[in-house]
Amino acid sequence: MTFTVTQHGDVNIVEVEGQLIVSNRQELKSTVLDQLDKGARKVLVDFGRTSYIDSSGLGVLVSMSKKVREMGGDLRLANLNEDLQTLFELTKLDTLFQISESRERALESF
Amino acid sequence: MTEQGVDVARLRREAELAASQLTESWEEINLLYSIGEILGRTVTLADAAATILHEICDTVGAGLGAIYVHDAPRGLLNPVAVLGADAAALPPVAVDDDTSIIVRVFRERRPHLAPPDERGGAREALVRRGAMLAVPVLWTTPQGSIPLGVVSLSAPRGSEPFSAGDQKLLAAIATQIGTAVQIDRLVKASVAQERLAHEMQMAHELQMRLLPAPSSLAPDAECAARVEPAEHVGGDFYQLFKLGQGRTGVLIGDVSSHGYPAALIMALTMSAMAIHAQSHHDPAAALDALRDSLSDELTQTEMFLTICYVVVDPTAGVLRFANAGHPHAFVLRADGTTERLAASAAPLGLGSKAPSTSETAWTGGSDVLLLFTDGISDARDEAGAVLGEQRVLEVASVRRRDGPSRIVDGVFALLEGHMGGGVPADDQAIVVLRN
Repeated sequence: MTFTVTQHGDVNIVEVEGQLIVSNRQELKSTVLDQLDKGARKVLVDFGRTSYIDSSGLGVLVSMSKKVREMGGDLRLANLNEDLQTLFELTKLDTLFQISESRERALESF
Repeated sequence: MTEQGVDVARLRREAELAASQLTESWEEINLLYSIGEILGRTVTLADAAATILHEICDTVGAGLGAIYVHDAPRGLLNPVAVLGADAAALPPVAVDDDTSIIVRVFRERRPHLAPPDERGGAREALVRRGAMLAVPVLWTTPQGSIPLGVVSLSAPRGSEPFSAGDQKLLAAIATQIGTAVQIDRLVKASVAQERLAHEMQMAHELQMRLLPAPSSLAPDAECAARVEPAEHVGGDFYQLFKLGQGRTGVLIGDVSSHGYPAALIMALTMSAMAIHAQSHHDPAAALDALRDSLSDELTQTEMFLTICYVVVDPTAGVLRFANAGHPHAFVLRADGTTERLAASAAPLGLGSKAPSTSETAWTGGSDVLLLFTDGISDARDEAGAVLGEQRVLEVASVRRRDGPSRIVDGVFALLEGHMGGGVPADDQAIVVLRN
């Protein structure tokens, strides 16, 4: 799994490629915390190239979102595949995040 | 003296020298044999080290001696045997003590013969008088030698300093000590490993005993359940409650991650829920009370759990439930359809919203309650494909009339067939009930 960070206006986009699971979740967290330290306040996590998120991956998304909110920012998600969308709906995690169907929509929403 | 007389005298001297060398070699060989015997019959490293040190000092002619063994975690060379000095008073030497001869020999992995006027470290002063001969204790592997400690001799007997022969002999003995030290470490590691494996097995058995026997619901309900942790212990669990008037409470939970941290949250949840299920007959009220009980622990550990609590009341023909983020909770109907008991709130520990109670019709003796965790539906085959919720539901539906035990067996047969003997990545739990 790799993370790619790009900047679009004042939004930092983190693209997750592969799986977000117990072994790499801390890496994603430190990537996002780094962005926060550098002053980023709008973070978009793009899951367009993510096949699977396990329960610890979900946990880290929620804790990152809390952290960003505490810093006065906003963390949003985009591009979940059908399985991941279902997972967020079944676990009601869709109520904790603003989720967009594409990167473009997400960028417009900020 | 005649020429003949000179020859005889020379021959005699040579013969005496040869005899002396032979005696010396015999003593050395004898010493090596003795050490072999000592190592063969001694049980502890300390006993072996003390005996070996005594034998070397005797053979080489040294009044003081010590064997140091490396304690890597603490960065020390600890004396394990001392001769000619008070063992209790001899301190360990730190491996970064640059003044110490012992340390230099250990770090450079080379013997050193320090003449009487060479300064050494203060911490080895008790076993130093005059010259000091120190050689590294090495364990030789195909990748190279690993330093394990140092053996030092001092206070040479008489006026003779330690010789190159003494150094060679001490190096040979140090190799044997190295083998003994390494064997001692391997034995200790093996004993510790065995103890750990035993303790982990005990923890597994203890956790399995926390789960109630499905037969405890008889005669109110027929139930079957199975939990398989991915490690010795895990965070998937179920709980069953007899609530009176024929009502039955069934709970399934899945703590994020697995292993010991998850098992602790699981035990905490079960003990809190045992109280709340009896004092709150409304499922959402019970989960709300549970949320309060676990709040601090979940915040501190950054863990969370999906949980679904169902109360089946066959007399009223109603099933009531509260679901906090648990994805796989179903009722299998007589007409072959399945109804999902959908979550009304995010998992405990993640969201701030409390789950609410929903209800659906329940036909006693016909409908089947099926709860399982994602360790079952997300199990992967060798190619990485997930089993999927739908296949679990199909197997359960086909066996609906056969009863809970046959459903659990069928789902696990499906699961094992899919995984093909692979090791599960996550805990797996299933509970099935009809009444």
